[in-house]
Amino acid sequence: MRSRISIAALLLHLTVSSPAGPETSYQRLDILTASTGSNSRDQDWKPGKGLVLEVSGLCWIGPDRLGVAIRKGEIWFIDGVLGDDPAAMTYTLFASGLQEPLGLLPDGDGFLVAQRAELTRLRDTDGDGRADEYRTAARGWGVTGAYHGYAYGPERDGAGHLWITLNLDMGEHSDNTKGWRGWSLIASPDGEILPQSAGLRSPSGMGTNREGDLFVTDQQGTWVPATPIHHLRKGVFHTNPEGIASAALPGSPLKLSAPMPANVLYPEAVRALPEMVPAAVWLPYNKMGRSATDLQLIDTGGKFGPFEGQLLVGEFTNSAIHRVFLEKVGGEWQGACFSFLDGFPSAVLRLAFAPDGSLFVGMTNRGWSSLGNRAYGLQRVRWTGKQGFAIREMRAKPDGFELTFTEPVDPRSASRPDSWQMTSFTYLHSSAYGSDEMDTLPVTIRSAEPAADGLSVRLRCSGLRELYVHELHAPGLRSAAGAPLLDPRAFYTLNRLPGS
Amino acid sequence: MPLARLIACGLLAVALNATAAPLVPGFDRFPGPTGGALLFLELGCANCHPGPRPGLPRQAPLLPGLAQRARPDWVRSFLADPRASRPGSNMPSLFSGPDDPRIEPVLHYLLSLKPPSAKKRELGKDVNAERGSELYHTIGCAACHDPSPDFHPPAGRPQPGEATYAAVAFPQLRDKYSLESLARFLEAPAAVRPDGRMPGFGLKPTEATDIAAHLLDFQDSDPRNAAKLGRFSPDPALVARGAEIYARMRCAACHEPGAVVATVPIADASGGCLTAGRGGELPFYDLNEAQRKALQAPDGTPSPIHALNCLACHSDQGTGGPDPARGRYFVGDEALGDSGRLPPPLTGIGHKLQPGWLDGVLKGGNRVRPYLSTRMPLYPAQAAVLAAAFQEAHPLPPMVDESRTDLEAGRTLLGTQGGVNCITCHTWGSRPSLGIQALDLSALEKRLQPEWFRTYLLDPAAYRPGTLMPPLWPGGKSMIPDVLEGDPERQIASIWAFIAKGEGLPAGFPDLASGAFELIPKDRAIVQRAFLHGAGPQAILAGFPGGVNLAYNGETGQPARMWRGRFFDAYSTWFVRAAPFEEPLGTDILDWPSEPQTPAIRFRGYRLEPDGSPVFLLETGGVEIAEHFSARDGALRRELSWTGPLVEPVWTHPSGAAVIEEPAGAPAKRCFVYRWKP
Repeated sequence: MRSRISIAALLLHLTVSSPAGPETSYQRLDILTASTGSNSRDQDWKPGKGLVLEVSGLCWIGPDRLGVAIRKGEIWFIDGVLGDDPAAMTYTLFASGLQEPLGLLPDGDGFLVAQRAELTRLRDTDGDGRADEYRTAARGWGVTGAYHGYAYGPERDGAGHLWITLNLDMGEHSDNTKGWRGWSLIASPDGEILPQSAGLRSPSGMGTNREGDLFVTDQQGTWVPATPIHHLRKGVFHTNPEGIASAALPGSPLKLSAPMPANVLYPEAVRALPEMVPAAVWLPYNKMGRSATDLQLIDTGGKFGPFEGQLLVGEFTNSAIHRVFLEKVGGEWQGACFSFLDGFPSAVLRLAFAPDGSLFVGMTNRGWSSLGNRAYGLQRVRWTGKQGFAIREMRAKPDGFELTFTEPVDPRSASRPDSWQMTSFTYLHSSAYGSDEMDTLPVTIRSAEPAADGLSVRLRCSGLRELYVHELHAPGLRSAAGAPLLDPRAFYTLNRLPGS
Repeated sequence: MPLARLIACGLLAVALNATAAPLVPGFDRFPGPTGGALLFLELGCANCHPGPRPGLPRQAPLLPGLAQRARPDWVRSFLADPRASRPGSNMPSLFSGPDDPRIEPVLHYLLSLKPPSAKKRELGKDVNAERGSELYHTIGCAACHDPSPDFHPPAGRPQPGEATYAAVAFPQLRDKYSLESLARFLEAPAAVRPDGRMPGFGLKPTEATDIAAHLLDFQDSDPRNAAKLGRFSPDPALVARGAEIYARMRCAACHEPGAVVATVPIADASGGCLTAGRGGELPFYDLNEAQRKALQAPDGTPSPIHALNCLACHSDQGTGGPDPARGRYFVGDEALGDSGRLPPPLTGIGHKLQPGWLDGVLKGGNRVRPYLSTRMPLYPAQAAVLAAAFQEAHPLPPMVDESRTDLEAGRTLLGTQGGVNCITCHTWGSRPSLGIQALDLSALEKRLQPEWFRTYLLDPAAYRPGTLMPPLWPGGKSMIPDVLEGDPERQIASIWAFIAKGEGLPAGFPDLASGAFELIPKDRAIVQRAFLHGAGPQAILAGFPGGVNLAYNGETGQPARMWRGRFFDAYSTWFVRAAPFEEPLGTDILDWPSEPQTPAIRFRGYRLEPDGSPVFLLETGGVEIAEHFSARDGALRRELSWTGPLVEPVWTHPSGAAVIEEPAGAPAKRCFVYRWKP
């Protein structure tokens, strides 16, 4: 009882403090969240009661059954999960004894799960509802016993390839000089691993966009100045060279054609090393969370609101979800990030949409920390059909940007250039742990022209810089109904200007 | 702006490196009039010239005992041209060159000076230059001195352009020191250099010897094989003449023995020592243009923080800290980010630490960051002056009164059950945290001032940009509305109160004694992956009812260990982020040979029998092997079967076990039973 009250109070508090997550637009149902007395040391777990639901993988199985991987090494099925009463949901243990599974994907008559040492295929061959086959589906990466040597996935791209990402090792036993640490891999059907791209640090979440291209987030840290979202492809290098030694191993698709740049601005680094493909989107540190996790395409036929086709980004430290709009410019994905929902009770690690277009949010904060102070949790988020005033999309134009909105803008406030402010900045590419924003300059907004229907505004700017993050603030903008934006900020990563 | 500063400093460093000028660490950071005042102090100008006496006068090495420290030939050449013997030396040239007839008498005089204590230092039985190199490159020596090219810090060797200030160079150490005399110096530098510019690190005798061996490139393990200093017999007549010259040349202005009062007024700041040449009446400093200019218009009194070059390791209000090149030698716990490897900033330190605690820190105690490899040097003689320099003028806002705190709320807030999760990252006394092992919170009140604690918690990044410490009261608002009505001031004060006065632990630490995570196979086998000593990082553990247990090596596809009794405590594997290598819980451990079987086997997973026992799936030479383990009558059974033409591997067995091969009853099958010998 006490936990209910505190969660309700928490949500109430967040409604007040968080302009980006209005409870009127997205309603949250707590399915299982650690309360003040998380019974996490009970050996004989009672499903739904003492279960330590540190969610590390989510997948949808049937019309009303959710598969959940948890960090202690188990797979659970939750039935009746689309009902409104958490107490009526039933929990069934499917598999156990895994080591830190960090993904869950149905495949054929079984499930694929990446654990520390291998990609494993779980099957129930005798039909008793419990997995009895834990067959190796792919292996061959370096496993040293360093705590940070996590393996994530698998995630299926549009071509059907199964992707896995590997953390760099840290701490005792670390060895990043071999074994593809910090790489992305494809698991081949015959159980081999096919290394794809290098330069990752702690790539904890993947997701595919509507076109089937696969993206991954990474964590700010050494050689990672802020939070990037990378488009994973064969033969590219991202940002962190600590695992680059594996490029010399047989099977490497990556050959660096220039020395590894260091201590230069990020755009210079990208220009100096042809294999270094710029991040599709940067989430500026602190301004847009601190540690991104899962990526999830919004593909619900409009059931989740007006952001179809965009990617949701889980956020660990700030216990939030961001939103990313991507567009292809010059053959490459780039785009903008926006705040979306915050105030979750724990760190958001995994996201999955139910068939009915509601979003399941899996949480765990063990080992790091998060603003939401519960140890773990699972929540369902439903769109109420109402939507506040938000920037829906931000597209690059040869001379500026085009913004679209969830509601018509007030043409007077929209057309005043002083309703808008923009700066651009980049980062230092170096071994330091994160980077300050560097080389910040103002961008002049020469004009702002709302469309006749008020649903878009065209900004014409001077001083746009390729490969820089462009930070937009629209504090003076009002909707036709007189409301300010839920969040007046947007961050566009302008790797290329259209038509350049 | 930081980049521009980086580039500017880089250019300066190149300029300084290119000259034979005396090197004053820290001058690079303050090249203007502030730097002039620093030079005035650090070159010992104030030892001759009257004027304000700063708090930490520059004092040259004490000369009594020189014969027990340095080789005569080296002293001779150093007197002839100090900066030729030791680049950047702050000792001015006082003689015209090697042929100056005054050198030999002075040498005899100096080497006749008896040390205050003639106690001989033992070198121990074993010396290790490699260990010394590891220490030299990780405890902080490399913050001021050059690293060796053959040492590779985890982040790699410095890249060109990363060094933004010059290193304090060594003389040819083997020409100057013996292993014993250098080790003695490193153990207690203040005995020779009392002014703290070369601080002591509180090295253990063996550490000092190892570092000396590294610096002298002494690769032998037996210290007795190191070259000795040799004896020198001073000629009494020369000693007497040398003493006269020593007095006449005012050596005692900077050195012991003797003391000379500063009596030489500065008549002309454009000439004098600033422009003097070699071999004249005045000391010749070989100043470069930037130094000369700065010295002509010194401004202010240098801070002891700059004089002692605290900024080599610490930042202070955004200035200082190691440059990118030196930063690579600051290592620690990567999981804590830069806070886990860089010493804390000095910004606001006078507000931060309790005066008594700060005094202890400066004198060599109160070390609270076990994860930093860099060691804080010892400044016992400078502690008072430093502490005064750290004092802050403007007080911080106070914490709310203790009467408005609540110890139980503090316990909750520190913990993980409805609190702000401090113990997720911070250790508490002897209890490891639940995640990264950040600084111990259990006795903060002895260290910190409450006002600083409050200010810091409200915005950690304002004090330490880039800290992993999250803003737990973002925007000054509480995330925990149901504790103390969500009042941030009372919440923070209650955390402080619990730290200072609370009994017991913050809420959420696991009960170590409960054994609640012990896996107990009751009616079916339990299979669990883990990191296990003796079975590797891909171990698969199987516990069978009846107290027979197995660890299988999933990397090599072969059994690794068997033991009796209790199976396994899964707590760390399930819930501790550090994921340590574990040990079996039971007894009578028997190990298989660790060499991989031949021909090599590929591990392809496992399946579980209805009783939960594992069948490991292997493949070699295109043939699939199934390896079933089960327990019966207190013994472990291993049944192997395969389909196809198998070149059978040499099956190995646990050493010390009684091995019985049972008839398999069919081709392409083997069955081994392993028992503990009585």
